[in-house]
Amino acid sequence: MANTNGYLLKVNDLKTWFPVKKGLMRKTVGYVRAVNGVSFAIKAGQTLGLVGESGCGKTTVARSIVRLVPATAGEVIFEDTDVLSAEKKRLRQIRKDISIIFQDPYGSLNPRMTVGDIIGEPLKVQKGIRGSELTEQVAMLLSKVGLAPEYINRYPHEFSGGQRQRIGVARALALRPKLVICDEPVSALDVSIQSQILNLLKDLQDEFGLTYLFIAHDLAVVEFFCDVVAVMYMGRIVEQADSQELYHNPLHPYTKALMSAIPEVDPKLRGKRQRLSGEVPSIMNPPPGCPFHPRCPLTEGVCKTVEQKLEEINGKGHLVACWKSREH
Amino acid sequence: MSDVDKIISSKLLKGRSLWQDGLRRLWKRKLAMICFAVILIYFLLAGFIYAAELFHWHVGPIQWQEEVGRQYESPSWKNVFGTDIFGQSVLRKMLYGAKISITVALCASIISIVIGVPLGAISGYFRGVTDEIIVWVYSTLSSIPYILLILAFAVVLRDKALFGYKLTGITTVYLAIGLTSWVGICRLIRGEVIKHKNREYVMAAQSYGCSNSRIIFRHLLPNVFHLVIIDFSLRFVSFIHAEVILSFLGLGEATRPSWGAMINDARIELSRGVWWQMAAATAAIFFISLALNIFGDALRDSLDPKLRIQ
Amino acid sequence: MGDNGKLLSVENISTHFFTEDGVAQAVQDVSFSIKNGKTFALVGESGCGKSVTALSIMRLIAGPQGKIVSGKIVFDEKNLLELKEKQMRNIRGNKIAMIFQEPMTSLNPVYTVGNQIVEAIRLHQKKPMERAWADTVEMLHKVGIPDPDRRVSEYPHQMSGGMRQRVMIAMAVSCQPKLLIADEPTTALDVTIQAQILDLLDKLQEQNGMSILLITHDLGVVAERADDVAVMYASRIVEVAESKVLFEGPLHPYTQGLLRSLPRLGISAKRLQTIAGTVPDPLHFPTGCKFHPRCPIGNSDKRCQSIEPGLRQVCDGRCVACWYAPGYETEQEKKNTN
Repeated sequence: MANTNGYLLKVNDLKTWFPVKKGLMRKTVGYVRAVNGVSFAIKAGQTLGLVGESGCGKTTVARSIVRLVPATAGEVIFEDTDVLSAEKKRLRQIRKDISIIFQDPYGSLNPRMTVGDIIGEPLKVQKGIRGSELTEQVAMLLSKVGLAPEYINRYPHEFSGGQRQRIGVARALALRPKLVICDEPVSALDVSIQSQILNLLKDLQDEFGLTYLFIAHDLAVVEFFCDVVAVMYMGRIVEQADSQELYHNPLHPYTKALMSAIPEVDPKLRGKRQRLSGEVPSIMNPPPGCPFHPRCPLTEGVCKTVEQKLEEINGKGHLVACWKSREH
Repeated sequence: MSDVDKIISSKLLKGRSLWQDGLRRLWKRKLAMICFAVILIYFLLAGFIYAAELFHWHVGPIQWQEEVGRQYESPSWKNVFGTDIFGQSVLRKMLYGAKISITVALCASIISIVIGVPLGAISGYFRGVTDEIIVWVYSTLSSIPYILLILAFAVVLRDKALFGYKLTGITTVYLAIGLTSWVGICRLIRGEVIKHKNREYVMAAQSYGCSNSRIIFRHLLPNVFHLVIIDFSLRFVSFIHAEVILSFLGLGEATRPSWGAMINDARIELSRGVWWQMAAATAAIFFISLALNIFGDALRDSLDPKLRIQ
Repeated sequence: MGDNGKLLSVENISTHFFTEDGVAQAVQDVSFSIKNGKTFALVGESGCGKSVTALSIMRLIAGPQGKIVSGKIVFDEKNLLELKEKQMRNIRGNKIAMIFQEPMTSLNPVYTVGNQIVEAIRLHQKKPMERAWADTVEMLHKVGIPDPDRRVSEYPHQMSGGMRQRVMIAMAVSCQPKLLIADEPTTALDVTIQAQILDLLDKLQEQNGMSILLITHDLGVVAERADDVAVMYASRIVEVAESKVLFEGPLHPYTQGLLRSLPRLGISAKRLQTIAGTVPDPLHFPTGCKFHPRCPIGNSDKRCQSIEPGLRQVCDGRCVACWYAPGYETEQEKKNTN
């Protein structure tokens, strides 16, 4: 059941700041502004990709949405309820409908639990299912993700990275969620396994009618997997568009630099090199104005003082936070 | 045949848990297994003496009070470790002392684990004010010199009654040791829990609605428990030594033979050239300590999941 | 300098690890050569043995569990495996240098960056302290670290990942090595920083005329930066070719599968192609060709299942290890199968 306008999830101006405490009395001297005003919306059945380099805040967005990390401000509207201000009981219900697949296949499974226990625990905890009914459901989930049900008593360290990630997917599906947040699910996997897992996720989306929030740093993976893509930099979204539109028509200088930095196998497809100078600035002291201006090849006066807002460009749902790109 | 039927009917592929893995590696270490045998012998001896006392069997160590020879007889075939001032068999006293030492060390270990592990887990998981209080408590406690603390506890607890039980010599000893020694295991558990708390599997459990207590007991503690085992075996030695020192200082068991009391007696005896009581007690302490140390190290090498080859 | 402009020649190297659970044959019968001033890439997925190969060249394999059991490594007309440890130390950091994937764990956290580079310089060159420090600051400048005079007294944790990698590179090239081994130098870095670092390596290669052995799993990086490529799978080399030639037409089914399964920017697809199955456990390699269980041709072929194809040259500069690669079978073998 999506809310009005068919949006399953609506994030409004989400901010997550981590206080930095120093000194004997632990005074707060500043904030790490990991997420600094992020807004987006996902329609039911759609896949939205959140892409950016390390430190841009994408993982913190994912964790803030399910309150694994306390958000500082903003709203996260899931099916008419604001998750951030929901009380414990309602939050517990919502946790049935939103699940997460984590990045690290080695760290996301409890090494002391069998695979059956790992996948079955959500069912035990939320629905009180036990015994043979539990075994049945776990076996079904295992075969859905392509693992033999006979492995139900094995332990995580007896599986390869790709297989562990499949177990993580099975666990995420146990409660038949509506929204699945995929936090870099294939970044730690080998190339030949990545494609298997991505295909699996796509198949499961068709079969179960899932909605995905897909987080990654690899633009090529995101372009393949997602319908809509949002590019993040230093806690903010700098560009958002449909996947194909973004690829064919990137507007923000950061997006362009990101695309041109990706090494390309086919020499005929290599674009012009656009090198970014400098490093990502410290997230504790972001530069004033547009956070990208120190590294941007097009910086001009106003960039240094005025924060850029995400605005629509061409009516095709393409948004950019850069006044220069709106100029053409 | 459906998947579930396959599972129920076929032989499920057995998994090999990290524990089984660790124990298998431990088993391969011959020296560690020999040490384990030695430790087992001491424990069995203590158990045997308990049983003998309970069922009134008349065996050697129970009858340590019996006069078997003249005063201060040197070691001979009749009395392998000679006799003490009362003509009692030093060998029997030494064997009896095992019961005292093992009891003290075991009870002290249990007390310190029962206090230290939950406090460490709560402290590490919840952080904040709870953590600060607990850390303050154990920091203060551990800043006081260990021996003074035990002495203070032992003196205070002596001749008092706890839940209707009169506190005899041994009980004060292991209560005192246990109540002061939980700090080490508490710190250890706290540190590990803090590390594991940020692992993704804990976050996953939170994300599908696990309660805090379930996370602590079902997820965190099983992953740090191997440290409790390792700590237990290494700390056991220090508890045996603590008992020896307390008995030596006259604060422990007064009426029955313990290794510490034997060493205490030996102080005067040595000046008379009577060395066998000292030798017996020291030998007994030495071998169990050595065995526990070697075994504890082997345990650590085998049970540490990081030392597996991934 | 070796003959034919070959700087380093690895010949039939096998490295095994003797574990409690059995012998892991991490590297088997690996041979390749690196030319002067060129970049050679060793590419493969995790567990294929590429890092172990690099460590074998540097003789940094941790014994007694790990051992180079056979083969030769010819560098500067000497077999590195026959040198005494003291002679080997003279080569490491001096003639052959290595940079690693995780700069945070490869740099010593309790020494300043400057101290570490100076140490590297003074270990191999007799220079007075002042000169060494001056060289260090210049090195930092060369690798593109802004404000080198100030940075030289910073600690590793004060720097970002990209900076630390630059420091590692500075340390590695401070003695002008002939060969730089780069083990996944950019895997832990963001893609924009990755591009900067790879540009830097190119620049240094041009300036110093050094060869680079680039170890990576990223095919895109290989395509853009390497002159020659060797593809490794399950402890063996399965294909060697010039980079351009390899990507235009790979011969080994594994290489073909890898290239097909890459999601590529600008090429939209509904499903990705995959290579079925998983990488085999080094303790339990399959018989015959190690890739056969996952190979569309090999998984039903008796010969692939039982006889392992060795690496053979099929044409100028190209080698493959596959029974069905064009030009692989000898006349005799063709007769035998028919």
